[in-house]
Amino acid sequence: MSALSAVAVWLQPVLLAGLVVGVTAGDPAAPWLALGVLVAPLVALLAPPARLADVNLVARTAVAVAVTLVLAADFVLAADAAALLGAAPWLGVLLAAALALLVPLLPGARRTSAPMLTMAVAALLLPLVSVALTTRTAPWTAWSRGGSRPALTFSETSAWVRDGERFARPARLTFVEGQRVTVLSPGTYRVVERDAASPTVREWHLTAGETLTLRPGDELSVEAGARLRFEAGRRVPGAPISGVAWADAPDRDLTLLPEALGALLTLVGGALALVPATRRGPSAAAAPLALLVTTTAAIGWGIYAGATAPDLALGGSLPAPVMRLPTLALGPRTGAPLAMLAVAALATLALSAVVALRGRLVATGSAAPALWAAAVGLAAALAAAAPDPWTVLVLGLGLAAAACASLRLAAAAEAAVAGSIVGAGAFVALVGVPVVAPGAAVWPEVLARYPVLAAMPLAWCTTWVMSGGGAARNSATSL
Amino acid sequence: MSVSRGRRTAITALLVLLVGAPMLALAPAAPGAVRVAGVSLLWWYAGLVAPLLATALAIIVLVRAE
Repeated sequence: MSALSAVAVWLQPVLLAGLVVGVTAGDPAAPWLALGVLVAPLVALLAPPARLADVNLVARTAVAVAVTLVLAADFVLAADAAALLGAAPWLGVLLAAALALLVPLLPGARRTSAPMLTMAVAALLLPLVSVALTTRTAPWTAWSRGGSRPALTFSETSAWVRDGERFARPARLTFVEGQRVTVLSPGTYRVVERDAASPTVREWHLTAGETLTLRPGDELSVEAGARLRFEAGRRVPGAPISGVAWADAPDRDLTLLPEALGALLTLVGGALALVPATRRGPSAAAAPLALLVTTTAAIGWGIYAGATAPDLALGGSLPAPVMRLPTLALGPRTGAPLAMLAVAALATLALSAVVALRGRLVATGSAAPALWAAAVGLAAALAAAAPDPWTVLVLGLGLAAAACASLRLAAAAEAAVAGSIVGAGAFVALVGVPVVAPGAAVWPEVLARYPVLAAMPLAWCTTWVMSGGGAARNSATSL
Repeated sequence: MSVSRGRRTAITALLVLLVGAPMLALAPAAPGAVRVAGVSLLWWYAGLVAPLLATALAIIVLVRAE
């Protein structure tokens, strides 16, 4: 497999868009996630080549489910993009699912993955370079300026202020200063007032055009799909308190370490399971270079978006920074075509990624077109429920990691099967606890968010014991 | 150094580079928050230094392993 085709399976639009939003929002985890998105596939590329004959049924099933979940996360991104373009979200899912179903099954589709990836990366870079050159601001200067703002506020040109915007996901917004919020879609809005000793919860049944007056400390719960309009010059609810807090999250301390390790283990394990081996030699240099350029571009998008319009991360819509930044930074005349180019880049990236994902299913012995159709259909059905795409992506990568990572240690087929069963079983059990028993807490809580933290070590231990406690065989097994 | 040993060393180096980011961010006294030329040390590391080192390392090993 060519180097670019190998990394195309990793460079999913949802992964890059999630990284962009993380940087835009000043997420404490954004720096190590950015590094993880780059380093995880590099580790997979350097790992020993695959011996697919040893991949067991449990691992194959886990890869098929993981591919379905990754597709679903991409489809949710398509739904968000459709909503930002003024169309119904289901239309985005339908279009993305139709393309995902048909394009990989076209003759010669696998050969198009690398050229599509190249075009997508170039198209993603062009608007970013235009923003940098037109505003004459280097990314580090933008970061530095963004990190010295006294407050993160709505500008008068913000879409949240002019026409109002739609919340793609349910949200709980905490207001640090008073603000009048205009409701643009009828519904029930819950406000928790915290100005007394015990919090007061009020539910407001509002029609379009009515306003809510919120005081400092109030918390507003918003359902997915609700449209709201905010006041210009006021602080963005839920955003960091200041530029300094955006640049250096004040809650970064050692208590975040398990979560950081969980995220990085998920990325590395997921990459080991999904990124295939590539041909070695001079041409293989294209893969690390493509990863470097794409991740750097994602960080750049996030920095410019966060420094220009911190409200771009407000609605929980992952493609919002990429689709809105060019217009906000350069004006509608220059920015609108560049915004469409960015959308085209995400779409091309998605096509390249689905062709590569289909390639992974074929490589693990699941070549039947019916299986691909089932994966796309299930993913579309899942996306229709509008889950959080980042959570769905983490589940997919985590399951693949838990079921497949131990294969590299196995000295015998039985040990590999046992490791896969234990890894996948532990992962499913930890994910299932909050669903089966909503009141029950998974301890520690980080295991509910990153089940690989327990599932992968359990799988490794099982494989090691079943292999007789010896060292891994020389010709290691991998997907 | 054999190809497989070089590859193992490179993978270890990549993982060390990766873990360096949360270590720098979460260590007591927050060394990652120190600003160098206006940007925090953490972002210089996670956004520039570590990615360049990791990419160079991967290219060397992948090209040599022909």
